[in-house]
Amino acid sequence: MSDFRALRAKIAAIEAGARPDSESLPFGAAAIDDCLPGGGLPLGRWHEVGGAGLEVETAAAPTAFTALLVTPLARRGEVVWVLRRDDLCAAGLLGLGFPPERLIQVCARDEAEALSVMEDALATVGVSAVVGEVEACDLTAGRRLQLACEKRGSTGFLIRRRPYGGTARRAATGSAAATRWRVASAPSEPPVGEFGLGPPRFAVELERCRGGRTGAWLLEAPQAFSEAYNLEMTDVAHPLRLVANLGDRQLAPAQPFRHVA
Amino acid sequence: MRAVRRLSAVSLEAARLGLRVGQKATDALALVPDLATAEAEPDADADALTALADWCVRFSPAVAVDAPDGLFLDVTGVDHLWGGEAALLADFRRRLSANGLPFRCAIADTPGAAWALAHFAEDGAIAPPGGQAALLAPLPPAALRLETQTWAQVERLGIRQVGQLMSIPRGPFARRFGRAAMSRLDQALGREREALTFRRPPNPWFARLAFAEPISAPEDMARVTADVAARLCARLETEGQGARRFEVCFHRVDGKVLPLQVGLALPGRDPVRIAKLFAPKLETVDPGFGIEVVTLTGDAVEPISGRQARLDKAREATLAEGLAPLIDRLTNRLGEDRVWRAAPAESHVPELAQRRARPLEKPDAAKSNEARPWDRETPRPARLFRRPEPLEAVMAITPDDPPSQFRWRGQTHRIRRAEGPERIGEEWWKGQIEDVHTGHVRDYYRVEDEAGARFWLFRAGLYGDPRTPPKWWLHGLFG
Repeated sequence: MSDFRALRAKIAAIEAGARPDSESLPFGAAAIDDCLPGGGLPLGRWHEVGGAGLEVETAAAPTAFTALLVTPLARRGEVVWVLRRDDLCAAGLLGLGFPPERLIQVCARDEAEALSVMEDALATVGVSAVVGEVEACDLTAGRRLQLACEKRGSTGFLIRRRPYGGTARRAATGSAAATRWRVASAPSEPPVGEFGLGPPRFAVELERCRGGRTGAWLLEAPQAFSEAYNLEMTDVAHPLRLVANLGDRQLAPAQPFRHVA
Repeated sequence: MRAVRRLSAVSLEAARLGLRVGQKATDALALVPDLATAEAEPDADADALTALADWCVRFSPAVAVDAPDGLFLDVTGVDHLWGGEAALLADFRRRLSANGLPFRCAIADTPGAAWALAHFAEDGAIAPPGGQAALLAPLPPAALRLETQTWAQVERLGIRQVGQLMSIPRGPFARRFGRAAMSRLDQALGREREALTFRRPPNPWFARLAFAEPISAPEDMARVTADVAARLCARLETEGQGARRFEVCFHRVDGKVLPLQVGLALPGRDPVRIAKLFAPKLETVDPGFGIEVVTLTGDAVEPISGRQARLDKAREATLAEGLAPLIDRLTNRLGEDRVWRAAPAESHVPELAQRRARPLEKPDAAKSNEARPWDRETPRPARLFRRPEPLEAVMAITPDDPPSQFRWRGQTHRIRRAEGPERIGEEWWKGQIEDVHTGHVRDYYRVEDEAGARFWLFRAGLYGDPRTPPKWWLHGLFG
């Protein structure tokens, strides 16, 4: 097993070429981190996030999920969000724990422009992450994004979205993304004895992962929309918490436990 | 009372035939039966005058429009570019004649004297510095831009020349003709300053390049843009200033002016960077038969600390090196309204609760009394629709319960959990007092359907109030 690991590391080093050792951002849950190369969400790469059904148009759950993934990166630098349709609400991202003062929004006129703005922003000093809303990204565009990511080590997130509806242009073929996620909202569970909605939950499927394995999990953002999140932004814990492994449907304990990265 | 058609302008030929401005059209036709008339178009005249004022920028950055048919050019300190006032005026006359415009012009120390000479003296008169009094003396009193009433009184007293007016002692003059006339005389003689409204305020940050041969090749235009930028930036650098906005104007041979603008997020003076920002826009410029002059102006000029910036904190360095050029590239490519940073605004209405701030605006520098923190208490959706979308088939237990079921975009959603209401009233102080009504409220609910999708919907209006029947809307998605 250890030989296998060493071999894998060797291949990774060859693939990386002159690129410095890439960092990763662990979720803090072994079930997820073991599937990802390097024990966490690889930084300096780009990731694809999508939804199903009407989410292809509204992209609500992918947006919330991406905002939660980007939140730890927003502490390191600015986040550029490239939109096609101007309906992103900064106050809503704040509710998820994302600092809106670190957010620069750009509204592109078409898809090609969105991709080129993403590329430009990824290669800029002081930008730690770039989120773009694009319907599909072919291999060439994906490779260009990857090169831009490698320039400064910033991380890209591509939300697959068809903002104005219509029929799909084409099925996404191959992809240069490091990971591909499919996100859907899942019913929330308020703590025992409380009314209303619980912290938002997401049914997340890791569809594709370079140098890793796929998986499906139920994640929760325990601090979102709670009174406490702004008082002590926990710098250590990932804003997403693993609730259950969707493979075996094991339910999480009723009391949330804290993971430390 | 019936409207009387009068002549508002006459050509030189018509004037020779004895027609004059203000004459009744019927009288004129009686005098000259085959008179050709056209409807007066004051708006088009004003537009043409404005265009002419813009064209005159090639002679001086300070041009004031003197409606309905005059222009003032402040040529102070620009005549040396032509080698003297006479040469400047000659070039001006040559170019205007080439455009086929009838005109009269004069140069004098004061706008008042120049106006008088242009209207009543020999065409193209140049008053030597301080010598306008002698030239004005033989002119009729109308040359002083007097009001009709004053003018009539002056004429009635038998005063036929400005010189006679000048010899009247100031006290009796002011008593007899009023302070306004006194002030007109003083303005003409330079004893009183006259404020002109320049079309553009004179901009000291101005650079100009003229070419012996008109240019039109795209690469030449790129090169001269870089050259003129280098010229202006050298001046900015020596004075320790930087500009936020740059405008380059290409003056075509046929008199058209083609401006291009770029803006910077932070004041700057790097000629290479500025030329690069202009480069993609140059292809939109149609050089026509060639471009003979290019001018560059810098606006919003403010002191910048120059080379010291690098010794600052690390964050400042990254701002100047990375983020600011990125913002510049994006705003100049996409437009200023397409790159922004959201900032909280003073409003309870969700769609008005945030405004678009400039991306690099410091939150504390932006009007500190208006700066307010984000509202962290109330949940807001990640996607907020610009226009709320109507919900159909809403089933709700009246009056204050969230719906138990609704249909949106053809799909029925059963509500499993709900929170609310959060009541948001209208901003009654913004509208008419008659329109204010207690029923203009929105009750917002945060709901979750059986599949887990989370919605932000509201009921507008109240149950049991016939004037505001309740209606349900979807305003955002939490995801």
